[in-house]
Amino acid sequence: MNKPQNPVARKTGLVVQDVPEEVLVYDTDTNKAHCLNKTAAMIWRSCDGTRSVADIAKHVGSLACEAVTDDFVWLAIDQLNESDLLEKQVAADFKGLSRRDVIKRIGLGSMIALPVIASLVAPPTARAAASCNCNNNTECGPSTPNAGCPAATCNLSGRCEA
Amino acid sequence: MSVRVAEADGDDRWHRLYARKLEVEAIHAFELFRRNGIEPVLIKGWAVARNYPADAPRFYSDIDLAVSAEDFEKAQALLASKEASKIGIDLHRELRHLDTRPWQTIFENSRLVDLDGCAIRIPSPEDHLRILAVHWLNDGGESKERLWDIYYAIAAHQDSFDWNACLDGLSSNRRGWIIAAMGLANKYLGLPIDGLPFADEARDLPNWLTATVEREWRSGVLHRSLHTCLKDPAEFLRQLRKRIPPNPIQATIECEGDMRAGSRLPYQLKCMLKRSLPSIRGVFQTLKAR
Repeated sequence: MNKPQNPVARKTGLVVQDVPEEVLVYDTDTNKAHCLNKTAAMIWRSCDGTRSVADIAKHVGSLACEAVTDDFVWLAIDQLNESDLLEKQVAADFKGLSRRDVIKRIGLGSMIALPVIASLVAPPTARAAASCNCNNNTECGPSTPNAGCPAATCNLSGRCEA
Repeated sequence: MSVRVAEADGDDRWHRLYARKLEVEAIHAFELFRRNGIEPVLIKGWAVARNYPADAPRFYSDIDLAVSAEDFEKAQALLASKEASKIGIDLHRELRHLDTRPWQTIFENSRLVDLDGCAIRIPSPEDHLRILAVHWLNDGGESKERLWDIYYAIAAHQDSFDWNACLDGLSSNRRGWIIAAMGLANKYLGLPIDGLPFADEARDLPNWLTATVEREWRSGVLHRSLHTCLKDPAEFLRQLRKRIPPNPIQATIECEGDMRAGSRLPYQLKCMLKRSLPSIRGVFQTLKAR
């Protein structure tokens, strides 16, 4: 049964592409792209609404064959919140510590990589290819004749810039 | 035989993800159109990328769908509807200048290929080669990278490629364009054409043609609409210089011209007159919008 505080991975409005050791996610609502490392992806995919953070830590630990703490999972949840990859925001519980302190604490003792979610930015060639030919931001989007800017902002002169 | 090196963009993760996004959009577009009685044909982009080897992928930035003239306005309306709010499609009214074969023939020759359980309609290899060759030439031959589209359009199907289906019935000028494009792919990319009936013609490329593509590739300046460069004076000047005089390949194509005619000048003059008014209009409209 889903409990309100159990994190739920977002499914709608996302295009997901698995690549070796990473999961790439394109958010079609915001036109932003993210790269989840293997650890972050495991945690994200474990967020099915039925698992608490402690359950996720146990589950991911069994997949990785190594004990995973709640802090480890919260680190991922925090980033998933920021990247809008959860159905509802779940406030990360670092028990008064800063994210940096938590990373320090975990980093030294962990054999598996820390969960990392990075933004993926369109390279210059992709931006150059996507001239949107619009005159303002309201014209620029997926349904415009030139299909809008890829995960970037229209510069009001028909060019797409990150 | 040359081997294409994958685009060295430093990171192809973006491209892979964006290509996947476009695939999802293509599927949604096909489903939407079919629910409304329209059957599109996907040209260029994804259909071309399928010909490339896995270790040298071809990335693309949009999905091009062609529909019949009768269905065009209905398709436009569908793409502007709420149902299509996340579908970015470049919609074509049949093939316009890209090919002169009747749309019905293109449609009948087309084939269905699977994409995640959705049957995507694409042109036959023979029809697609003509479309790609004209598209590339119409861009003035400015991209050496995109010449690989022509290379792989043939290489991926060389065992079964029907040259008669590709070239028969074309005007002599258009036939000359397609053969010239193959000749360029042979000269610069090593496309094998030995034994083909037009091989000698393909190898006998006009000097002006090779000089133009080599000049374009040296400059590295790709075409941009002038109104998109207004905030960048240096780029605006580069784009103006690119247009004056008009690219002779582009001018030849726009005027349905002959690759082997003595001079490009008549085509260039005609092209200049035809293009200057819309360009100036576009610049003024952009300035006015600000």
